[in-house]
Amino acid sequence: MTVLNQRISCVAAACALFSTSAFADNPTLTNPAISAVLDGYYQNTERPMAERGEGFGLGHTELAMSANIDDMFYGKLTAVIEMHDGETELGLEEAFIQTLAMPGGFSIRAGRFLSDVGYLNNQHVHTDAFSDRPAAYRAFLGSHYFDDGVRVNYVAPTDLYWTMGLESFKGDNMRAAGGESDEHFEEHDDHAERDYKNIGIYTAYTKIGGDIGHGSWQAGLSYMRNENGRMVEGEHEDHAALEAGHDDHSHSATFTGENTYIADFVYKWAPNGNYKYQHLTVSGEYFKVTDFAPLEDGHDTDVHSADSVDDMQGWYLSGVYQLSPNWSTGVRYGETDVQELHGDHFDPQKLKETEVSLAWHHSHFSTVRLQYTNQQGTNYFGIEDDNVLTLQYVMTLGAHGAHQF
Amino acid sequence: MRINSKLVKSAIAAVVVSYSSIASAELNIFACEPEYAALAKELAPSARIYSATTAMQDPHQVQARPSLIAKMRQADIAVCAGADLEIGWLPMLQMKSSNAKVRSTDQGLFYAAEQVETIDQLKSVDRSMGDVHAKGNPHLHFSPERMLQVAQGLTSKLIAIDPDSKASYESALKSFSHKWSAAIPVWEKKAEPLKGKKVIAYHSSFKYLFTWVGIEQVADLEPKPGLPPSSSHLASLLTRTEAGDVMAIIVASYQDERGANWLGERANLPVQVLPMSVGGNDQSQDLFSLYDSVLDLLLDVSTR
Repeated sequence: MTVLNQRISCVAAACALFSTSAFADNPTLTNPAISAVLDGYYQNTERPMAERGEGFGLGHTELAMSANIDDMFYGKLTAVIEMHDGETELGLEEAFIQTLAMPGGFSIRAGRFLSDVGYLNNQHVHTDAFSDRPAAYRAFLGSHYFDDGVRVNYVAPTDLYWTMGLESFKGDNMRAAGGESDEHFEEHDDHAERDYKNIGIYTAYTKIGGDIGHGSWQAGLSYMRNENGRMVEGEHEDHAALEAGHDDHSHSATFTGENTYIADFVYKWAPNGNYKYQHLTVSGEYFKVTDFAPLEDGHDTDVHSADSVDDMQGWYLSGVYQLSPNWSTGVRYGETDVQELHGDHFDPQKLKETEVSLAWHHSHFSTVRLQYTNQQGTNYFGIEDDNVLTLQYVMTLGAHGAHQF
Repeated sequence: MRINSKLVKSAIAAVVVSYSSIASAELNIFACEPEYAALAKELAPSARIYSATTAMQDPHQVQARPSLIAKMRQADIAVCAGADLEIGWLPMLQMKSSNAKVRSTDQGLFYAAEQVETIDQLKSVDRSMGDVHAKGNPHLHFSPERMLQVAQGLTSKLIAIDPDSKASYESALKSFSHKWSAAIPVWEKKAEPLKGKKVIAYHSSFKYLFTWVGIEQVADLEPKPGLPPSSSHLASLLTRTEAGDVMAIIVASYQDERGANWLGERANLPVQVLPMSVGGNDQSQDLFSLYDSVLDLLLDVSTR
């Protein structure tokens, strides 16, 4: 006991010494960075699979807190408050710890966090130049994919930026529908309940990047394995989820498959590399989702063979230019091709979006944006109006963290 | 199998040895701004020095871009102005580069502002005041006395990180301090005609310089720190110039000249761009020539 006490007092003494020497001028000790994001909008109609509804509404209202926990760990908590149909929903988007002092360029992140697949996914929604994520993100990642899991990341000690990582997540939001509520299944006992795997998602990604003149670029490749991504026969859940996309507000991916491949790139340029007044951002991503068709297990074999269905895919290309510190404008075009299972056959669906946005920034912390989207959907996307107008504000207050490239 | 494992072991050992010998031979220094890259070059001439920004780039607004992450990943020391100047990008670089060596000031991280007393420290900060720094003005590299203190602090840091080369760092500091201390009275004598002159300037970028040589900044082109000059604010500055006591409008090399030119034309005042740091114009090749160039340009505009 005495030994233990002595040890503890030694630790306490060391801490006391540390607090004066190491952390004295570190504001995060007494003062974790606390910030809020306020996001409100008016929109004349809806985009398929998007989080924003028609009329007045609140987008991602965020409350975030972050600090270095000690010299080994950093922690961040982001709560998201969303209003839906008169109800206030509190969600946890981030609650993670990350190592700060592992040797060899390694780091580990654990808890709930945004997956690092693709380019946009690890960016916070309020930093986007458009009011909603591209349709490919909404279809395959539930707008932005965050989940409970763990990540190991490595940065190579090279002049060319090279990072790679592995992630594993619970994957509840990425499950293909089970069809429990489907009457069709109750007739088949063996299909009445789907046996999901507890660890649903594994990802691997790599990114490289560097500078060319006054421009900077980054390119990435990601692979996502979804153990629960394959549909089961005869389900109608996808269609229901699609129609209810804005009702249940679950952040679930609408379309899933066992394998998802993502290629992404971004290029940024500013005159003399000075981002104060003008800068250009060009980015694009391509998604391919495969192995979603139900496996043939003895019956209905001839109706839909997995080989006969095209893979699902989606892509977008976006360009955003900051004309002056006060004004920025952007254009984005994207296409998404998905396959919806209806009983014994797949129906292809296609969504094309052409978007233009104009934003006014009074300072770095306040943005008012007007966005026009022309959406062209074929088959079941259920678009009521091809023309979407969104007027939105996004403002941050408090000690807001640094942004990613 | 045995031979194989021995081979592997010796190969690994060889790699480790060669890697560590490279590392000790060349210290990797990551400078946030070119003035600190220049200071590092004076104090550690044999080091591999990389500057994250140029004198043409506003250090308040830097992208935490891939090339910077890659450079920081390899750094033994990061030398930055501090006082929250790099708050918008340095923490992201530290997070992304996974380099424990430059994570805290206990180790390889060095803040110039922590070596000196900064000016304009604020008791309380509110965003309605603009983008202000509670820890004071971070653009301290135009204060020659403070740069001497920073040089001493940086030398201690270099020795702490690379104790084997202690003697060479000490002699480099001695040589730099000697040259710098000799240059200060020469600069001060040269700058005497500038004493009492009044200027309108962009941001508080040259506050230390003006304080040192006795120039008074009577107005700021920015309505509030970090906000671009607005037309209503420029109109109020035009009224201010009617007193006839303003010598010139001063803009730093990374700042937009349009507001200054608008005001200069209407108030019939010269607009002078000063290099914000080393590399800001052709003359500014190191800290000494940067000071020379800035004083020459100011003297030139005062006689116009």
